Amino acid sequence: MVITVPRFGTACLAAKVLFDGLRIPYVIPEKLNNETIKAGCLVSPEEICLPFKAMMGSILECSEKGADTVLITGSCGPCRFGEYPELSQKLLKSLKKDVGMIVIDSPSAIGARELLRRIRALTGQSGRSGFAKVRALADSLRALSLADGIAAGARIAAGYEIEKGAAKKLLRECEKEVFRLTEGAAVIKALKSCRRKLRAIKTDPSKDPVKIALAGEIYSMIEPFANLYIEEKLMDRGVCSKRLITPGWWLKDLALKPLGLNSLKIKRACGKYLPSRVGGHAKETVAHAVISRKEGFDGVIQIYPLGCMPEIIAKSVLSAVQEEEGMPVLSLAIDEMTGEAGYETRIDAFLDMLEAKKKRGAGF
Amino acid sequence: MVVGIPGALLFLKYRRFVETFFLELGAEIAASPQTNKKILDEGVKYCVDDACLPVKVFHGHAAWLKDRCDCILAPRILHIEKKEYICPMFCGLPDMLRESIPGLRLLDAIYDSRRGGLKKWAYETAKIVGADKRRADRALRAALEKAPESAASAGRAVRVALIGHDYNIFDRFANMDVIKKLGALGIGTVSADEVSDADAAKETGTLMKRPFWHFAAKHYGACVHLYKSGLIDGVVYLSAFCCGVDSVTADLIRDALGGFPMMVLKIDEHTGEAGFDTRLEAFADMLHRRKTSGNNRSEVRDCVPCGEGAF
Repeated sequence: MVITVPRFGTACLAAKVLFDGLRIPYVIPEKLNNETIKAGCLVSPEEICLPFKAMMGSILECSEKGADTVLITGSCGPCRFGEYPELSQKLLKSLKKDVGMIVIDSPSAIGARELLRRIRALTGQSGRSGFAKVRALADSLRALSLADGIAAGARIAAGYEIEKGAAKKLLRECEKEVFRLTEGAAVIKALKSCRRKLRAIKTDPSKDPVKIALAGEIYSMIEPFANLYIEEKLMDRGVCSKRLITPGWWLKDLALKPLGLNSLKIKRACGKYLPSRVGGHAKETVAHAVISRKEGFDGVIQIYPLGCMPEIIAKSVLSAVQEEEGMPVLSLAIDEMTGEAGYETRIDAFLDMLEAKKKRGAGF
Repeated sequence: MVVGIPGALLFLKYRRFVETFFLELGAEIAASPQTNKKILDEGVKYCVDDACLPVKVFHGHAAWLKDRCDCILAPRILHIEKKEYICPMFCGLPDMLRESIPGLRLLDAIYDSRRGGLKKWAYETAKIVGADKRRADRALRAALEKAPESAASAGRAVRVALIGHDYNIFDRFANMDVIKKLGALGIGTVSADEVSDADAAKETGTLMKRPFWHFAAKHYGACVHLYKSGLIDGVVYLSAFCCGVDSVTADLIRDALGGFPMMVLKIDEHTGEAGFDTRLEAFADMLHRRKTSGNNRSEVRDCVPCGEGAF
C-alpha cells in the first residue's frame, strides 16, 4: 500500500511526518499548480466547489506517482464536503484508477468500531512497535503546531519588519527545508531553529501597519493555492494578517466536539448574528470578524470557493457585522477561473481604504 | 394576526398544509402571488448575490409581503430526519432574510427532528400566533390531511422523469413552465413523488453512504428506480445554478444511469427562454427518435471518429 493525502497546506507536513514515523510508503503531493487544478476540473462535476477539484487533481497526480490509497476525512453534512468521498470514489472508478480510500469520519457517523478498523487499516501497514506509532503521531502533531505557529508569527512580523521581505523569505526557506527531511525529530529540530530565526527578525514596534483578519471556508484558509497566496500578498504589502482556522485548530475543535467544549469563544461571539449551526465554518467566519474587531484588527477578508453554501450565509450575515461592529469586510469568491490581476486589485483597493481610514482616524 | 406565507421554497409544495394550519389556529393569512418578474427583481435586489435562484425568489416574496402582514413565515429547518438535512441555506434562511431586508418580522420557529420535530415547531409557532397547545394539535391534524401538490403530467407516449428540488419544479415562473413546454413537445413527466420511499431507499442503499441531504437521497433513489423499472425514456434534471446539492446529486445519478438519456437544465435569474426551448426541443427530438428506431444507436457513429467524413 502506498498512501497519499490531498494537498492541504501545513496538514501535508503533519501527514508526512506521521508516515515517515510509521515507515509506510507514501507520496506527498507537490504544491498545487494550474496543471493540477486543470486535471481536477476535467474529471469533476462542473459546479462542484474548488476544493473538490483541487483534491481530485492532487489525487490523480499522486496516483501517477504510484499511490494507491488516499487518506481523507469525512463529515456528515450539511455542507458538500461530506459527499466528497462518495463522489471521488465513483469518479476514480469511472476513470479506471485503482485507488482505494480510507475515510476518517466521526465515530457518531460510522461507529467507534468502524473508525478503529479504518485507523488499523492504516497503522496495520506499519511494522513498528506501538510505542513508535504513538511517537510518530506525537511528532506529527508537534510539527504541525510548530509550523502553524511559525506561519502565524511570520504573518504578524511582516507588518513590523525593518528589512522588507525577511519574514516571507524565512517562511519559504523553512517550508523548503522541512519537506526535504525524512525524520520526525529532524523536522521538529529544523522548525525550532526556524522559530528562533523568526524571533531574531528585526522589527520596528513603532510601526502601525494595517491588520487584516482572514476568515472563510476551511480549504481556502489552509491551502494557500486555494486563496491565491493571499497571505504572501499581504506580507508583500507590509500588512499584518491573522487567521483563526489552521489544521491544528481544526483537530482541537474536532477532539473537543463530543464534550461540547469546542470553540466556546466562537459560539459566544456569533450568537447574535448566526445562532444555529449551518454547516461548514460559517459560524467561525462570523465570530472571527467580531472577535478580531475587539482585538484591534482593521478589516476582514472573507474567502470562499464559489458556490460555498455556508459561506454565502456568512457573507449575508457579515454585512450586519460590518454595520453594527464597524468592521469593514471584503468577500472574495474563488474558483478555477479567478484572475490574479482582478483579485489583487480588489485587495489593494480594500487595503487603501483601510489605510486611509486609519490615517483619518474614526469614521467610515 | 396576519401571517405572510411566501409562495416560494417548500411552501410551493406544502401550501395547503401551511394555509390550513394557520387558518385553524385562528390567524389570518396573506399569501404572496405566484412568482413574477417584479418579485424576482426584488429578490435579486435584496439577496446576497452568490445565493441560488430559489433563495433569491424567497427574498422577493418576503419583500412583497413585508408591508402586507404582521410576520412572515420563514422556519429555520435544521434536521428533518435522523442525519438528514435539506441544505445549509435552510438552516440560515432567517438570518439571511433578517440581514438582507431591513425591518422584517419573521415567524422563524425551529424545525429540528432532534428536538421535537414538527410538533415542537407547531407549538412554538402557535404560541407566537396566540393559540394554545390543544388548538395547535387540532390545527396540525387538520393540516396534515391536506395532500401536497403534485406535478406529474402523464398520458403521453414518451415519458421523462422530471427530477429536481420541488421548489424548482413547482415555481412555474422560475422554470418557465417546463412541464407545459415538455407536454407541448409530446413528453409526459413522472415525478420523484410517484416512487415509494421503500423503492427509493433500496437504490440509495447501494451507495457507499446514504446522502445526508433529504432531497438528494430521495431524488437519487427515485430516479434510479424509475430507470431500472423501465418506466421512463429519459431524465430531465432541473437545477438552480450553483446549487451545491444538485452539483453532487446530478453526477451521482448520471453515474448510475450509464448512457441513458439525461439532461441537466440550469435555471437562474438570467435564463433566456430561447436557449431553454432549444435544449428541450433537441432532447425531445432525440427521445422520440430513440423510441421509433428501437433505442438503437447507430453502430457506424460509434466507429467513425469525429471530423473524418462521418457525414
